[in-house]
Amino acid sequence: MIDFGRVQKELQECSRDMAASGIKVSPKSDNLARLVGTIPGPIGTPYEGGTFQIDISLPDGYPFEPPKMQFATKVWHPNISSQSGAICLDILKDQWSPALTLKTALLSVQALLSAPEPDDPQDAVVAQQYIRENQTFLATARYWTESFAKASSLGVEEKVQRLVEMGFAEAHVRSALEAVGGDENLALEKLCSG
Amino acid sequence: MDNPTFNEDDCGSDLDEISHSFICCVCRDLLYKPIVLSCGHISCFWCVHRSMSGLCKSRCPTCRHLYIHFPTICQMLHFLLLKMYPVAYKRRENQILEEEMEQGIFSPQLNAQDTFSTMVFESNSSSDPSSTRKGEAYANTDVLMSDSQVQDDGIGTLVEISDGNSEVNRNISVEEKYCKQVSVADVLCLECKQLLFRPVVLNCGHVYCESCVIIPAVEMLKCQVCQTSHPRGFPKVCLELDHFLEEQFPKEYMLRRDGILLKLVDVENKLPTICSTGTAKQGKPAKQGENLPHWSDPHSRVHRGCGCDSCGIYPIIGDRYRCKDCKEIIGFDLCGDCYNTQSKLPGRFNQQHTPEHKFELIR
Repeated sequence: MIDFGRVQKELQECSRDMAASGIKVSPKSDNLARLVGTIPGPIGTPYEGGTFQIDISLPDGYPFEPPKMQFATKVWHPNISSQSGAICLDILKDQWSPALTLKTALLSVQALLSAPEPDDPQDAVVAQQYIRENQTFLATARYWTESFAKASSLGVEEKVQRLVEMGFAEAHVRSALEAVGGDENLALEKLCSG
Repeated sequence: MDNPTFNEDDCGSDLDEISHSFICCVCRDLLYKPIVLSCGHISCFWCVHRSMSGLCKSRCPTCRHLYIHFPTICQMLHFLLLKMYPVAYKRRENQILEEEMEQGIFSPQLNAQDTFSTMVFESNSSSDPSSTRKGEAYANTDVLMSDSQVQDDGIGTLVEISDGNSEVNRNISVEEKYCKQVSVADVLCLECKQLLFRPVVLNCGHVYCESCVIIPAVEMLKCQVCQTSHPRGFPKVCLELDHFLEEQFPKEYMLRRDGILLKLVDVENKLPTICSTGTAKQGKPAKQGENLPHWSDPHSRVHRGCGCDSCGIYPIIGDRYRCKDCKEIIGFDLCGDCYNTQSKLPGRFNQQHTPEHKFELIR
């Protein structure tokens, strides 16, 4: 049974010092077992300026079992799956302690963005790139941040909807938006020219 | 954030007035039936029990310090919190009782009357007259204070200390609104009968000054009150409690510190008592591992999720004796060592175990 009293206290605590930490946790619905966390990309990294959303689901044993966390925002990082958003972080697995909270766990995820561990990768392709062609890695990570984690890319669903209403197929719209980094006008140009 | 569920949380509204020291790191609420681990970190009875592994060694939620014995509730802290935050503590009691009723497993009942003298572990207190005497003395604080004056007159500062004490008592009644009744008498060392200074809590839940715990040369550390052995080396100072004492009784605390320093100067040839942790660290490291079972041994029989109701080891390894007569869901178990030495003890989950009950050996 999830300790909902504690989850509520955590949410209160988190909203109280949101200004300082930049970390936000909010419930997806009335059910407190499913939440969304938001972390800003750390300054001085290719993730700077991005806002990353993380899907959180609490297991029955929470807080005695770790929360399940997974990136909802696409991110290019050796320890985060570029496909599924799965996070490879010890405190979310065997190193979890019930004294940790959603906020401290999200802080650790944020710290992971600043300090990748390519020797313990989640995404082997990204990890290889990180080790062998670090410049390419940085450029790709920056590009992904630009494309998926910026405020301009956050309203992506609305853009998709508008472009679909113009008569383009949704799959084409999405791939066009992805290709141009989320800019609606460029995507429209691309769709028209293509 | 506009989540409606935020506002309906009125049960935790009293949390703002509670000192940060007494918020459990696991449930984020006022500590209820607090347990102090040997690393000095405090948590609630159920929070500690639920965060223990039951399969192998457990780790302190705060510092990841390894341990395997489920400690007993620290009654001194329990009654201190009850006195300081009567409303919030009552709320916690009702909340936990409801949960316990749902699950059918209960935490030990603590009554103010039999504090310390008939603690969970001391049904056979008649065999140990000293513990009963100390327990009674603790209940009667007037006796305590005069006692300490008479007993320890070797220290020059002591008269001053008791003077300071009454003064502190007077000050507190005016200045601190939420804990006006709390006095030095609520936080005394069981050995020196003075205000606790750098308190340590043993596995049995009894509290001493760090410098008052006697370290035996050969065998395991034992509680001077209940004679229960304290596994795994010297406990660390409970810093949350120590900071609270320093804040709450600044004058008393300073006098205690000076007194202990003075003692050190007097007996400079002897082993300085305040460095007991230091000596323990030097002397114990080899010993620490000895009390721990060998996890890598494939032949060691681990009884998963099953703890000893006497020493608290969780899980039991090796021989396990299960009571055939206890009706409670959680049952009553003893590890081999405890079965052979002190099998007549009541349970840790309020089981109605009696010495007449029969055991069966489970291998």
